[in-house]
Amino acid sequence: MLTKIAGGDIIDPVNGRVGKGDLWIRDDKIIAAPVGGAADRTIDAAGCIVMAGAIDIHSHIGGGNVNTARLLLPEQHAAHQERPVTTPLSNAGWSTFQTGCLYAKMGFTTVVEPAMSPGAALHTHLELADIPIIDKATLAILGNDDFLLSMIRDDASSQMIEDYVAWTVASTRALGVKVINAGAAAAFKENVRTFSLDDVVPSYGVSSRKIVKTLQAAVDSLGVPHPLHVHCNNLGSPGSADTAAATIAAAEGLPLHLAHLQFYGYGTEGKRKFSSAAARLAELVNATPEVTIDIGQVMFGQTVTVSSDVMRQFSARGSAQPKKSVIHDGDGNGGGIVPYSYGKDFYGAMQWAIGLELFLLIDDPWRVFFTTDHPNGAPFTAYPALFELLMSREARTEMIARLPKSAMALSTLAAIDREYTFEEIAVMTRASPAKLLGLTDRGHLGAGAIADIAVYRRDGNIAKMLGQAAYVFKDGDLVVQDGEITHYRWGKALRLNPSPDKAMVRRLEDYHQQRYGLSLDWFNFPDSAIAREQPFGEVACRT
Amino acid sequence: MKALTFTLVAEPPERLDLSPLTPERLAGIERRDIEKIQIGMSKHGSKVGDIFRVAGNDPLDIVFEGGSTRLDRVAEGMRGGSVRVVGNAGAQAGRAMRGGTLTIEGNAGPHAGSGMRGGRLEITGNAGEHLGAPLAGELAGMNGGVLIVRGKAGAFAADRMRRGLIAVLKGSADNAGSRMIAGTLVVAGGTGEMPGYLMRRGSILLDRAPKSLSPSFVECGAPESVFAAVIDRHLIAEGILKRPLLGIAPQKYGGDNAVLGMGEVLFPR
Repeated sequence: MLTKIAGGDIIDPVNGRVGKGDLWIRDDKIIAAPVGGAADRTIDAAGCIVMAGAIDIHSHIGGGNVNTARLLLPEQHAAHQERPVTTPLSNAGWSTFQTGCLYAKMGFTTVVEPAMSPGAALHTHLELADIPIIDKATLAILGNDDFLLSMIRDDASSQMIEDYVAWTVASTRALGVKVINAGAAAAFKENVRTFSLDDVVPSYGVSSRKIVKTLQAAVDSLGVPHPLHVHCNNLGSPGSADTAAATIAAAEGLPLHLAHLQFYGYGTEGKRKFSSAAARLAELVNATPEVTIDIGQVMFGQTVTVSSDVMRQFSARGSAQPKKSVIHDGDGNGGGIVPYSYGKDFYGAMQWAIGLELFLLIDDPWRVFFTTDHPNGAPFTAYPALFELLMSREARTEMIARLPKSAMALSTLAAIDREYTFEEIAVMTRASPAKLLGLTDRGHLGAGAIADIAVYRRDGNIAKMLGQAAYVFKDGDLVVQDGEITHYRWGKALRLNPSPDKAMVRRLEDYHQQRYGLSLDWFNFPDSAIAREQPFGEVACRT
Repeated sequence: MKALTFTLVAEPPERLDLSPLTPERLAGIERRDIEKIQIGMSKHGSKVGDIFRVAGNDPLDIVFEGGSTRLDRVAEGMRGGSVRVVGNAGAQAGRAMRGGTLTIEGNAGPHAGSGMRGGRLEITGNAGEHLGAPLAGELAGMNGGVLIVRGKAGAFAADRMRRGLIAVLKGSADNAGSRMIAGTLVVAGGTGEMPGYLMRRGSILLDRAPKSLSPSFVECGAPESVFAAVIDRHLIAEGILKRPLLGIAPQKYGGDNAVLGMGEVLFPR
């Protein structure tokens, strides 16, 4: 089928195409304008902007911890009924079905679950397979697992470590590797309660820095397109900007991605010893071209924090709101679920401002990524409001006026004039995520790209405009019209498929037999376990 | 003004959510608009006028004539005035009410008085399970007010109760007062297994020795108790009981020591 999206303002920074024009789709691909071709279907996009489908690189949408959050907060199920609309937690979480629908309505077509515990890979993929419409991908967590830490302790060759990482990525069907508070979850099991970049994991004698550097090198030399995805130490504590700065410095020329930098933008000034260090971090990021970051913006309201950083979640459980939490000191990373409500008090306002400062002070939209670390900073349904804050100084000024002056005095936000343009938004939410993840077939509107397209009707109200797309195409299927889902389909989970080394597989088989008394088969699964036609889409490694 | 009366015409075809029909939410609404309020919870989507014949005009005095176990969420969140159900009520009657009086002249379903914070709820018949208890995921159950069941109560009555008084006069099923945080539960007519299971604080007052207690309760003797005399007088003055329940020196058990262990179970020797 030949489709023409006629007369929209096309914003495609990758191919340098900006301005009024037509976009042609044949079946599931974007094509160049056919000579004398008559469209089977014409979409009138006059007064609309046309962008590639958006990509979210860091959003916790599936897997063990997300499911535990659902179990911990069953009152949400009632809260999501149409009535009553004002129940607490009415914005803090939902089913897989809604995840796909709500993302698609905003024009998002690919979402990455960034924290899949390798042992929970099957569960995670089953859950992702239940999310309709959009494509998904996962990052596998390494860095607190006994096998890796033992190898580093025993000075294993870099080849062996690469083989292990490759096996993990292949068997868990991941698109990349994430390390969460490297070593801290292992140290937590030995009753350590704070852990920094140069601290050493008891019993292993391996520092956090060493783990990060080892994984960074392995990911790079395996040709995994996405650089090592790092959740730094000391998340959320005042003074954590020092840790983030040290981690940025530790990139040392190789690509490194720092997740949710907002949660590390905290200095120790002011009478509460909690201030914004965003300007300092932004300057460091600007000066370190091999580093990319996403923000993890905080937005006000009730949410639930879901993290495999068990040390952080353990120390945060006292601030749970409502007062209940789950801490799981499990194999590898473990994790914690702590519900939380970001109020417009000093601390909430500070966090909100720090995220925006980072967005606005980091110059290169190719290296800063649009996230709320869903649901940790805010549920992803807050994205439209966040776009508005980035694109309108007036919207920021309005909110600043409603926040404590004591917090705003310790932040530079009020003095920043920058407003994101649609072109920068297209880079930040489309082009650069595709590049970062190694997805050449999306994030742009050039001929040959898959037809993931979001069309937004221009409106003075940016939140409304970007919150309810006029049309969304996923693989050429028209799935959203005027902000409502019109067609359901199943997306794929994007994965790498490096071939595992046979000797490593044998070694892992022995390890699992000895350590758990279980066959390695328990930690692997065939594609047919996911009951969908073609559940996975393969992405190539760099060669 | 005459009481605003909703007379049930026939057995409803679906479960009904009556939470919009409280004194607060009906204040200032014309009768014909009241008849248009949607209360059906399924695809039928029944409106008030399909189910009830509406008469009278005083929203502070609401009467449901004729009951059904399908009448859910009667007087939910009520803050003042009075609601009377002549017949049975469904689930969550008087849930989260903060004031006023709710009288059910029949049986009530599960979660009656769930999370109520004030006011008086009286059920002349039996109550279902989870009397005054929280819904799944909520942290506290009844948080104030008075809840009287003249008949029997189902399992987990007063679960996670924090404040207020619950009185059940013809016996309760298993685990009455489980996980109580504080407050007072009175059960005459016998209890099922393990009343006070995992209670932190609070008082459970019985008219006879319980069938069983969790092994993490300890016997505390039978000292003379001013509290017993005061509560006995209070229950009679409030018209809840006719005779003293505990006497001067009731037998006392303390627990549940599996958790905080500051609760008590009292009954006459």
